[in-house]
Amino acid sequence: MYKLLEFIRSTYVVFLFVAIEAIAASYYARSSYYTQARMLARANRIAGGVNGWVADAKHYFSLGAENRELLARVEALETELSRYRRAETQALLDEYVAGERKAPYEFVAASVVANSINKDRNFLVFDRGRRNGVLPGMAVLSPGGAMVGYVAECSERYAVAVSVLNTAFRASGRIADTDYFGSISWDGTDPQRVTMVELSKYASPRPGDEVVTTGFSLYFPSDILIGTVESSEMNEGRTAYTVTVRLAADFSALSNVILVRNTDLGEVRGLEQSDKVKEVLRRR
Amino acid sequence: MHRKLTYLLLFAVLWLVQAFLLNNLTLSIYFHPLIGIVFVLLLPLETPRGVLLLAGLASGLADDWALGSAGVDVMATVFTAFFRPVLLGMLFDKENIREGGIPSPERLGAGGFLRYLLLGVTLHHLLFFLLESLSWTHLGHTLLRLAASVPATAAAGWIAARLLTSKLTVKL
Repeated sequence: MYKLLEFIRSTYVVFLFVAIEAIAASYYARSSYYTQARMLARANRIAGGVNGWVADAKHYFSLGAENRELLARVEALETELSRYRRAETQALLDEYVAGERKAPYEFVAASVVANSINKDRNFLVFDRGRRNGVLPGMAVLSPGGAMVGYVAECSERYAVAVSVLNTAFRASGRIADTDYFGSISWDGTDPQRVTMVELSKYASPRPGDEVVTTGFSLYFPSDILIGTVESSEMNEGRTAYTVTVRLAADFSALSNVILVRNTDLGEVRGLEQSDKVKEVLRRR
Repeated sequence: MHRKLTYLLLFAVLWLVQAFLLNNLTLSIYFHPLIGIVFVLLLPLETPRGVLLLAGLASGLADDWALGSAGVDVMATVFTAFFRPVLLGMLFDKENIREGGIPSPERLGAGGFLRYLLLGVTLHHLLFFLLESLSWTHLGHTLLRLAASVPATAAAGWIAARLLTSKLTVKL
């Protein structure tokens, strides 16, 4: 009892202070609608702040559990990912083993045995043939990677290619970095220049623009350099440009070439020549 | 008994000046001295804390009645009264305070007493003005009111302290 009285005596000031302040605040809060609203808003804000603080504290103490949950989730996902990775690797290996996964192009270097540039129909002869993996339809590029022609026929040891400088040669060319393309051919006059016709009137070719292969051809990979635009003019109907292209490859000094084989060429040719396609073509 | 009468007189004078002079002065919207707090600040140093609170309550109620401030002055004055010992403990040596006496330039030193007055008055006025506006958006105005009013109240406190401790009072 004595201790209780002692406790009250030592703390009554605080209780008195709190009581007076509370009564005064309550009286002030009820004194007008404005103070009532403001005090209520303040009280709510304080209560909200305390609630927020308590929630933050709770959240802090639950971080360990959350972390464990996240780690478990990461573990499960990693396991699943590794399963996918293994499946993908397995599928790739299966393709390689089955020989399905081949490089899209194969390359063979060859030396030029014979080359002409002074005829209407010029050909090149190389010292590589079937036994070296050379087949008809392979693209012929200069050592600098510029278009030269394509292999027309080959023996065991030699191959003959149709040069770009052949009036029978046709390829499609595109102004680099655009989608405008036209048909490339040689008119049989200048061994350093070819002509690109039917280039869209919207292409606006400028001298110096690079002309590259389109990739529409089965012989040539896309973006092989053909040459650069030297001049251009609208055709008579003003529907397309006719462009003079200066060839990138120097045919008069061609001693070595690179032969490129499209590994899918045989498959595509096979499809094109299938009976079903022939039948469809006949019906039309 | 003599001292109690002196303080009663001080209480009455301060209230009369507040109610009939300062409340009717319209020098500026920022000039609003609340000299009732001087009564609490000038109570003897040895005054028990409970008595301080009750003195604060009485002064606050009287001022609220005069000002029509609905409990705001009670809150501010009682708060200041509650923390007066803390304030004194911060500014002065505890042994010095225990010896008691009327807070005055003579008792606490001119500089020390001025600091005590300014801090006590600022605490009270700040609470009063903040509670009155109930908003932080007018904090600039509140601070201007504080700057204009605190010196006036502190000056009133200084004068009251000098009167309380003057020989004239003792002779009375």
